[in-house]
Amino acid sequence: MQIKSKPDGPGMLVAAGLLALAGIIFWDTTQLAQRTVYGLGPEAAPRVVAAGLALLAVANFVQALRGALPSRGTADRRPLLLIVGGMAALMAVLTFGGGYILATAILFTATATAFGRRAYAADFAIGLAVGVATYLLFAKLLTLSLPMGPLERLF
Amino acid sequence: METFDALLQGLSVAALPGNLIFALIGVLLGTAVGVLPGIGPALTVALLLPVTYKLDPAGSLIMFAGIYYGGMYGGSTTAILINTPGESASMATALEGYRMARAGRGAQALATAAIGSFVAGTIATLGLTFLAPWLVELAVQMGPEDYFALMCVAFVTVSATFGDSPVRGLTSLFVGLAIGLVGIDRLTGQPRLAFGMPELLDGIDVTTLAVGLFAIGEALYVASMRGHATEQVESVRGSLWMSLDDWARSWKAWIRGAFIGFPIGALPAGGAEIPTFLSYSIEKKLSRHPEEFGHGAIEGVAGPEAANNASAAGTLVPLLTLGLPTSATAAMMLAGFQQYGLNPGPLLFAEQPQLVWGLIASLYIANLMLLVLNLPLVGLWVRLLAIPQPWLYAGILVFATMGTIVAKASVTELALLTAFGLMGYVMRRFDYPIAPVVVGLILGPMAETQLRRAMAISLGDPMVLVTSPVSASLLTIAAIALLAPFAMSGLGRFKAAED
Amino acid sequence: MLTVMRARACPFLMAGLTAAALAFGAAGAQAQDLKIMAPAAPGGGWDQTARAMQQALVQSGAAQSVQVFNVPGAGGTIGIAQFVNTSKGDPNVLMASGYVMMGAILTNKSPVGLDKVTPIARLIQETDAIAVPVNSPLKTVQDLAELVRKDPARVTWAGGSAGGPDHIAAALFTQKVGSDPTKLNYIPFSGGGEALAAILGGKVTAGMSGLGELESQVKAGKLRLLAITQAERIPGLDVPTLKEAGIDVALANWRAIMAPPGLTPDQVKSVTAMIEKMAKSQAWADILKQKGWDDAFLAGEPFVAFLKDENASTADILKSVGLIKP
Repeated sequence: MQIKSKPDGPGMLVAAGLLALAGIIFWDTTQLAQRTVYGLGPEAAPRVVAAGLALLAVANFVQALRGALPSRGTADRRPLLLIVGGMAALMAVLTFGGGYILATAILFTATATAFGRRAYAADFAIGLAVGVATYLLFAKLLTLSLPMGPLERLF
Repeated sequence: METFDALLQGLSVAALPGNLIFALIGVLLGTAVGVLPGIGPALTVALLLPVTYKLDPAGSLIMFAGIYYGGMYGGSTTAILINTPGESASMATALEGYRMARAGRGAQALATAAIGSFVAGTIATLGLTFLAPWLVELAVQMGPEDYFALMCVAFVTVSATFGDSPVRGLTSLFVGLAIGLVGIDRLTGQPRLAFGMPELLDGIDVTTLAVGLFAIGEALYVASMRGHATEQVESVRGSLWMSLDDWARSWKAWIRGAFIGFPIGALPAGGAEIPTFLSYSIEKKLSRHPEEFGHGAIEGVAGPEAANNASAAGTLVPLLTLGLPTSATAAMMLAGFQQYGLNPGPLLFAEQPQLVWGLIASLYIANLMLLVLNLPLVGLWVRLLAIPQPWLYAGILVFATMGTIVAKASVTELALLTAFGLMGYVMRRFDYPIAPVVVGLILGPMAETQLRRAMAISLGDPMVLVTSPVSASLLTIAAIALLAPFAMSGLGRFKAAED
Repeated sequence: MLTVMRARACPFLMAGLTAAALAFGAAGAQAQDLKIMAPAAPGGGWDQTARAMQQALVQSGAAQSVQVFNVPGAGGTIGIAQFVNTSKGDPNVLMASGYVMMGAILTNKSPVGLDKVTPIARLIQETDAIAVPVNSPLKTVQDLAELVRKDPARVTWAGGSAGGPDHIAAALFTQKVGSDPTKLNYIPFSGGGEALAAILGGKVTAGMSGLGELESQVKAGKLRLLAITQAERIPGLDVPTLKEAGIDVALANWRAIMAPPGLTPDQVKSVTAMIEKMAKSQAWADILKQKGWDDAFLAGEPFVAFLKDENASTADILKSVGLIKP
């Protein structure tokens, strides 16, 4: 753990996020209906959590300001975007009825690419195979329902 | 001695060669299905129950027991190998187990989990045999205030998962508590932090959070750091077998885990989460190698796994003696028992002794079969980790999302999974510990509910927390555990000044 | 020994093969491939109902193959929303439903209500019962009513989730004995198990729960039943109904089966006939006996009228306890 002396910008952002979360929780408690309850109401626990988060936001901010955060290496953004993109594609395919197998194959290819592979066609084929195998296992043997699409209807 | 004879009688039936084969098949099926993501023990039992319909009662009962134990062990396997706990009870196992697997000691982690489950299962079976009627009398006397005090003890011990910065540990815990607030308030039925989305009314699913933070967060982090010299994953380093040192470090943890898990599991609102995390904290405190925690300490797998198994046997206490199913798995088991004409309740032990003892003996034999089957398979399981990194992580992501799709096929749930994955990534980047978030989500709502129940019953009088002897003593323990480290360090400074 | 083993292994193989055959058969027979949605997680009430129906429909020959799928969440309101959106006009998909869903739709302000589906039949019902520990000073339901009239806040009730049938029954009781239902001190527990433990431990004044969950404790002499909530007495059970005790409450927790919207009258007829065939079969009777459920078959117009009445009275009482904002 290396101590930097410069203020840590992203660290401050995290602190700001915590404060915002505290604010949202507190606002939410004001939306609760008032009525007879014995003992503690539904707003008590959220307010304690919100207060705790606000205090911790200050503590995190002070640490970031003093640069007292553990050092981080530089991160590569591309793989992040690929994986999150793969998840987004999965959701989109499922929403628009593309089916489980196709969605799985896309996520598989995106993740493999994020980890440095470039054989898109081969990876997509493996992804399809994994999708088909798990689909058959779940839907046919265990009779669980998975999202249907054109490929699933072939089986 | 009557109970002991009855148990022996049950064992002699369950140990017939034909019944042993049913037990083996049950364990095999249970493990195979339980290892699939998104399928915890409850669903495993639900799915495989029809397979046992056509057998004679003794055979089907023992196969059922095998499925049950197989399903539980299957969940631990994924927690250890790919950081994807199938249910909240194997969350603590993932903490050290996955680190061990990354360091080429996955085989030892799986072995200590299997043997620990067996040791704890043995102790818990004995407990069930001799203590059940007495324990259940105590258990129903536990009021909401006593449960709240138990949660306080659990909260204090969570600090073991904090890592080296209290501020960052507490931040993680409070984020978990905040996530725990989402959904319908159990006491008044009003939605909190649901923002009008029906999918959020039931609250955030613990497995969605854990899989997002653990599995997806890890994948994102490793992918983004590939440019740097990252650790090399080896599937096997050295022997597959547990060394003498592994045994020496495991056995006490197994026994302690069993003694923590069984009584808490026997409480109607005890559950498996508190004992597994308690066991993890205690092992970390007592270990001679506390510095290994977070990097793959074998006690951190042995203890929680034993506690998990013992608490599962513990849930049989209220189930058999009162007919109270206290977990989803127990509810499924109740459905299974009814199919065999076994009606759990206060009269069960008196009215149907053969069936009860047959069941208890079956559970024991199934536990043994689990060991027989899984120890040889350990070597096979860890070979999975030899898959090249891109495909391994692609497979983990596919498995993680599949679990969510099977359990709850909604875009909201998948979006939550992705969001928690990103959160896990950011937390790793900024060195926030992950486990306290999950602990906060599990313990927060339980503690809140119990405290508010206690206060509603007492019409708002907080004295109820100290007038109950159980609650008062548990709160004292919590206070001591909280203050002792400060007192110790104060004493240390005092001594240092004297020198 | 070998022969013994073979003989014992055989039934398993058969069972395995039948299971596999059933599973694959489901894909083959398209025409009669029925699906039932359980709008809850596996193991819960609707899931058990759906799976029991699956078994009885196949065994009675009312359907060729039946698949159960789970859409859990928010008291069934997520399930019903998906059911109405994706299964419109499809007579081969059904949904298990019940009183709990009716309450959840009201309290969660669900945009999709039971008026959007095609009601087929009520299948089973279970009465709630009021129980106290045997050492409680309350001997009759009148004693409890007296206590509630004196100070409703001091009478604590244990039961299932907020807004569920147990909560509604306790609120109705408070209202009908002439006390203020907004003052009800009801402590919800998740699942019957935890509530029962609280009643047994004497942590609360009284418990409100499904009769089935209380029965074995009563037989064992640990609990005393004060009254049951449904209108009719249960044969062989020496416990008065609330109506007999002069408290105007009639409530039972029912489960039903619904079809999607947009079916033709002919389709509704054939689905109803199929369910009726199942409900009148020996297989269904056996399951009811095994599970301890009470047959409450009600189809067609009377069922539609029943739903309407229940919805109105449930909305009223939920308003009076403040679970729905007026």
